[in-house]
Amino acid sequence: MGLIPNFKTLATRSPWLYRINAGSCNGCDVEMAVTALIPRYDVERLGCQYCGSPKHADIVLISGPLTVRVKDAVLRLYEEIPDPKVTVAVGVCPISGGIFRESYAVLAPIDQYIPIDVNVPGCPPRPQAIIAGVAKAIEIWRERL
Amino acid sequence: MSNQLMILLAVLLFPGGVFALVLGLALKGADRRVAARLQSRVGPPLLQPFFDIIKLGFKRTLVPEVASETVFLYAPLIGVISMVLAAALVPITAVYTPAPAIGNLLVLLYLLMIPGVVLMIAGSASGSPYGAIGFSREMAMMIAYEGPLVLIAAAVAIRTGVGMGGTVSFSLSDIIAYQQTHGSFLLDPVMWPALAAFCFFYPANIGIVPFDIPEAETEVLEGPLLEYSGPTLALFKIMSALKKVVVLNLGIALFLPFAPENWLLALVVWLVKMLVLMLVGVTALRVAIGRMRIDQAFIFFLKWPLLLAVASLAVVVVV
Repeated sequence: MGLIPNFKTLATRSPWLYRINAGSCNGCDVEMAVTALIPRYDVERLGCQYCGSPKHADIVLISGPLTVRVKDAVLRLYEEIPDPKVTVAVGVCPISGGIFRESYAVLAPIDQYIPIDVNVPGCPPRPQAIIAGVAKAIEIWRERL
Repeated sequence: MSNQLMILLAVLLFPGGVFALVLGLALKGADRRVAARLQSRVGPPLLQPFFDIIKLGFKRTLVPEVASETVFLYAPLIGVISMVLAAALVPITAVYTPAPAIGNLLVLLYLLMIPGVVLMIAGSASGSPYGAIGFSREMAMMIAYEGPLVLIAAAVAIRTGVGMGGTVSFSLSDIIAYQQTHGSFLLDPVMWPALAAFCFFYPANIGIVPFDIPEAETEVLEGPLLEYSGPTLALFKIMSALKKVVVLNLGIALFLPFAPENWLLALVVWLVKMLVLMLVGVTALRVAIGRMRIDQAFIFFLKWPLLLAVASLAVVVVV
């Protein structure tokens, strides 16, 4: 086992999270911000940290069905995240549009525009599911480093 | 020749360079862990800052189109170099004494200003509006806290100089030697205003929550650091880790350098003092209170720490 693979394993212990709200109803965002990622479940013990800037991010959490109005902003934000990165779609909306699926203003599924690595379905998903999704994303991220 | 070699070793290995970096990152890890415990969380492992630096090494560096590329990429390097040099300037009682050519309080004051200036340059070179806001806030903070620092340093220097029969002594070795024989300034009532002013100064200089207004994540998205990614961001993290060591060690040298004669024991005592200063002055503070607005912080610093520092200077001169 060489030095670089060792360093890569250590590097995966520091995944920084960034949230993109692609027109979500805020249910999943509340779930991510308040329940899943702060004191009660504390993913900081996995080394995760929320960052304010997309340029610091490693794992992107996208919620919402991607509305027409935010599409350009979301694509631009996604471009600004430096490689290697992993995308986690949180909630059922990015998969199918969820309760908004019939709407004229919705572009779901989101993976037509952005490559999605992990889907965490639910409306909203349970905190444990979001944490499991992040853990899965860390595994994928290890291969891309 | 051997003298120059000693200075080089001091800058690169101990107490600057590698040693200061490892210590700074470990202090940061302890800070995050204890902060998490105070918020009844589990918290990250102690080595988390090391993992962060390694991780950032694997990421790409993106340079914004509107940025001035050369300045943008080299600014953090200047900050790291200045802090590595500064770490070699401050003595550790009974363990390390800098060469007389470099161990000067005035040189240290100038070097301590560079990280702030680097943040300002980085913020404006990135071309981001958040960087520009960070720039102006960093400048306001520097104006607010540099004044008290200079006055504190002057008070300590005059106290030492007069005590040693001269007028003023800016040599850090003299300051420590004086306190070793006459007792630490921590126990000297005349120096208490200066000590109080320093207790306000060092959280601001380290840049943690009540005073981290230039880099406020929730307001200006880390301001000057917003556009940095990958290795250049790692350089900023390294700079701030080194700066923690320098500022805390400066506090120890100015006010509480007491230590046993044995160098190993002295080193242990020094490390304990660093940890206590970090956990009490930084961690407990940032967990306990929220961030100030820039105008509140500016007025606060021009009121209390400056008043205390002026008072201490006056008292020292009169007594």
